[in-house]
Amino acid sequence: MNTKILVANRGEIAIRIIRAIQELNYEAVAIYETPDKDSRHIRIANEAVWVGHGPRADYLNIDKVIDAALRHDCVAVHPGYGFLAENPAFAKACEDAGLTFIGPSSDVIHNLGNKVIARQIMADAGIPMTPGTKNLSAGDEGLKEAITFAEGHGYPIMLKATAGGGGRGIRRVENDEEMSEQYPIARSEALAAFNDDSVYLEKVIVQPKHVEVQIIADSSGKTVHLGTRDCSIQRRNQKLVEIAPAFHLSPELCDEICQTAIKAAKAAGYTNAGTVEFLLDSDNKYYFMEINTRLQVEHTVSEMVTGIDIVRTQIKLALGKELLFDQDEVEIRGHAIEVRINAEDPRNDFMPEGGKTVSVYRSPGGYGVRLDGFCYQGFTIPEVYDSLLVKLTVFGWSWNETVDRMRRCLTNFVITGPKTTIPFYLNLVDDPDFKKGDFDTSYLETHTHLFEYEEYKSEVNKLANLIAEIHHKGQNTYAA
Amino acid sequence: MKPITRHMSPSEVLKEVRNGDGYFITNTARDMSQSDYKNRILLHTDLMAAPYREDAGYFSLEITGGASVHVDILRKQVDPFLKLELLREKMPNTMFQTLCRGVNLFGYRPYPQNVIRFAVREFAKYVDVWRTFDFMNHIPNMQAVFEEVAKAGKINEPCICFSTGPEHTDEYYVSKVQEILDVTGDEIILCIKNHGGLGTPIRIGNLVNSIKQAYPDLVLHYHGHNTDGNDIGRITAAVLNGAEIVDAADHSFTGFYGPPPILSVIQTLKDYGKEAIGINEEAVIASSDAIRDERAHYAQFEAQIKGFLPTVQIHKLPGGAMGSSLEQAVKGGFLDKMPDILHKELPKVQKELGNWWSVTPGSQILWTTAVSNVMEGERYGNPSGDLKNLLLGKYGPFPFYQPDEWIYEKAFGKNWKETIEQEGGVEEIEDMDIEKERATLTERIGKTPTEQQLVTYLQHPNDAVEFFKFEEKFGQSYVLPPSIFLRQGGFELGETLIFKDHHGQQHMIEVGPAQEGGEGETNIYLNVDHHQRMFEFEAEQVTGTAAVATLSKEEIVDLAKIGDHRAPFAGNVCEISVEIGQEIEAGENIAILEAMKMQTPVISEIAGTVTVISTKIGQALKPGDRILKIDTGEEE
Repeated sequence: MNTKILVANRGEIAIRIIRAIQELNYEAVAIYETPDKDSRHIRIANEAVWVGHGPRADYLNIDKVIDAALRHDCVAVHPGYGFLAENPAFAKACEDAGLTFIGPSSDVIHNLGNKVIARQIMADAGIPMTPGTKNLSAGDEGLKEAITFAEGHGYPIMLKATAGGGGRGIRRVENDEEMSEQYPIARSEALAAFNDDSVYLEKVIVQPKHVEVQIIADSSGKTVHLGTRDCSIQRRNQKLVEIAPAFHLSPELCDEICQTAIKAAKAAGYTNAGTVEFLLDSDNKYYFMEINTRLQVEHTVSEMVTGIDIVRTQIKLALGKELLFDQDEVEIRGHAIEVRINAEDPRNDFMPEGGKTVSVYRSPGGYGVRLDGFCYQGFTIPEVYDSLLVKLTVFGWSWNETVDRMRRCLTNFVITGPKTTIPFYLNLVDDPDFKKGDFDTSYLETHTHLFEYEEYKSEVNKLANLIAEIHHKGQNTYAA
Repeated sequence: MKPITRHMSPSEVLKEVRNGDGYFITNTARDMSQSDYKNRILLHTDLMAAPYREDAGYFSLEITGGASVHVDILRKQVDPFLKLELLREKMPNTMFQTLCRGVNLFGYRPYPQNVIRFAVREFAKYVDVWRTFDFMNHIPNMQAVFEEVAKAGKINEPCICFSTGPEHTDEYYVSKVQEILDVTGDEIILCIKNHGGLGTPIRIGNLVNSIKQAYPDLVLHYHGHNTDGNDIGRITAAVLNGAEIVDAADHSFTGFYGPPPILSVIQTLKDYGKEAIGINEEAVIASSDAIRDERAHYAQFEAQIKGFLPTVQIHKLPGGAMGSSLEQAVKGGFLDKMPDILHKELPKVQKELGNWWSVTPGSQILWTTAVSNVMEGERYGNPSGDLKNLLLGKYGPFPFYQPDEWIYEKAFGKNWKETIEQEGGVEEIEDMDIEKERATLTERIGKTPTEQQLVTYLQHPNDAVEFFKFEEKFGQSYVLPPSIFLRQGGFELGETLIFKDHHGQQHMIEVGPAQEGGEGETNIYLNVDHHQRMFEFEAEQVTGTAAVATLSKEEIVDLAKIGDHRAPFAGNVCEISVEIGQEIEAGENIAILEAMKMQTPVISEIAGTVTVISTKIGQALKPGDRILKIDTGEEE
């Protein structure tokens, strides 16, 4: 019987994983909830298992997912990103059920998922970190500790929920007064959101760049990096645009950061693919942020510049193979940019456009272009999941060539029905700072003109709507 | 001799006009559009002509005001302020002129003083010459406009409305001029507003002469219409007797009821030794050539009766109302009754109601009364709300004599004297709470309105909101030429539409196929800048009058008597005066319908409780459409 692997995810990442599984001549088993019944991932998979009406609850239901894998004779489970990907209980459940979890061990996921434990491991390994605290003590004692920390390191300071992640459970504090005010709120919010009211502090690095390193480790302890990525262009701590390699890093600094990442991964006993995230300040000092114990959305840019199929490698490593390449064989060539084309209205605070039907879908192609998506003409975007429609990744030899290619692809892209982030990216690729590679995490706040496109670019579509109406009715009823 | 531009102060302009050897011309593009094309000439066409009109050296371009402000938002779907702003970009020097109806502003009934002042202040940012009139020549009705125009440093051009008949003597008009000068002072232009194109050349010549004799330094602007084909005769007489400025329009668009051709005026007066000051004849010709081809697309808005109407001397309908009156006759199916209405009833009604001036809103009152008198069979049997207001003196005092008592009795019943005593006289309209209106508008459009949007809203609340929604949905549609915007019968498959958008970007739209969808919806495919776009239109609901047999007048009255009130005529609901559950008496106002700019109340036939309201404000009703139900409670 052929080897079967369950893909415990949906949307574009499920398709990405299914492709790798099928390229390895294995069979992919997809799962889906009712709102995803028309999703393309279940058509591409070799088998598809309905796990419930959801929404979300069944994708998050460990028992149902394990049960689906076992009933369909799967030997391994790939969690993708989101949902159960960084839930140590899920990795543990797979291990217990005799299923290979494609990712690090449940212990590693647990340790690195807990911000305080993770910081302790990194501190012990001598990894540079932003000044911060352990979990603050309960009640007023914790507030006193916080004020003391602020005296030593100065504001602004981030108040973080220990169990938070993905940009959630974070609040910025500017002075003592705000600290007294926010501290109890942060605790009660953390309790409500994560069922754990632990919070800790971290000094804020002002306007840093977000630089991360893709690492891959096999079970023998051999750990290599696939170079850096810059994910500074974010909104509300959610990444929008990712590039590889990180721009404007000296070869020395780049190498130092990558070596630090390997050191961090080794300290954590990391296996399989992961990402070590750093903040880089304007003095080129870098600080460890966290290790993401999963395949990341933006893994595509690293694949483009290294030529290494990260998902294929993940599966092979999980199934017991060793890494087939050494660090000196990994070569970073050219540049790659990925933009997340979301069904969102950037001008309306990126409000999701779920529920709308994609009436026209025409995608670009050609040299250096990669699409990871799941939508098609006639597809109605479910309202209950995230709004990512397709990732557009382009590769180019030089930075300019890559930006030009991105512009061309965005111009060729036609998605009608929902509003998308495309017009916003069209502004982005023409922004002088972006073209120079000059951006940090404050980029969107300081480049508000990127949002000034609607009147201009959609003006013709509004008029086309009127023309369609005049055509349909045989006259302009507004002018009659 | 300095060319006149908007950069000069009013007194500098007046000085140049007084010293000029010859006469000046105002291009009345707005009045041409209103009189001959139901106000539908699009901004697109005016923008095409703009550079040539700028070069032509006119005293001013009359391009806003009258009914155009309303039609801009109601039909042309263009912001009346944006229109002026865009024209100003292409015409940096030419003075823009408006026609303001005094207390009635650019609408059909009096506005509160603070609204008038606010509107004038906003428009005065673009408008240099303010021609202001009152249809009763009641000077106090224009006072607020005069004051705001003067404050804004713009030119006041008060009108004496002109008509014919035994009361309309030179002495009368000279005394009216004095009344105006007493209020405005001497630094104005006085307009002789001959909106009907009435009188002969010699009559106009005499009038101009009399005014000039009394006020030699007063600058006179003659405004006429070519309804009888003889306005150039009147213009010539006016200029020969000392009028300094006259009105005419671009010849490629001149029709029957609007202004005469500019070039013909120039050619005629040249042989009398009168020079058109500042005029560049080549540019005058070029303006006409630039827009000539556009005219075909406006044919659908030309009057139903072609040809001059010298009978205007009998019926006196103003040029600006000819098109819409004839259109109403066609739609109402009484075109055959026009000779009766125009030549017999209308002159009779005019005399009966006081022989004042047939111009907005008075012309609408005369017209609807005459139509109703002929169509209903009973004269003054169905007086409109506006006629009643006129009789009550709400628009101002009658200038010559009061209508006969029997007309009052028809309108208000046996106790009409009491009604007049209680309700009569010019009413001081309370100031509007503008901030409250601003908040309401903010709520209705979901964003903070600009001052200009607020001004538009204060004048025509429902139409303004509809327009703002249109703009939101369809963008700036003024960029579409009439061949697209006014197209009848849809486009050809494969037809290519090319236009520049509001930002100057050129676009191409290719018309693709239309497909029926599974649920009767239609999908229209357009290639927009080479990208295919699909536009979906839901299936039309097959209900309404097609399914329901049309009710006769008698049936509508019978239904009303059992509490089922239907629309007695076609019109828009502009007020619903009662609420569900309200107890009302027989004879109370329950709603107000508006047709042809006239508001007419719907009266309850029985007493009872309002149980159902089937319409809403702004809805267009056909005769027999439900308005509301009153339950007498007798059945229970």
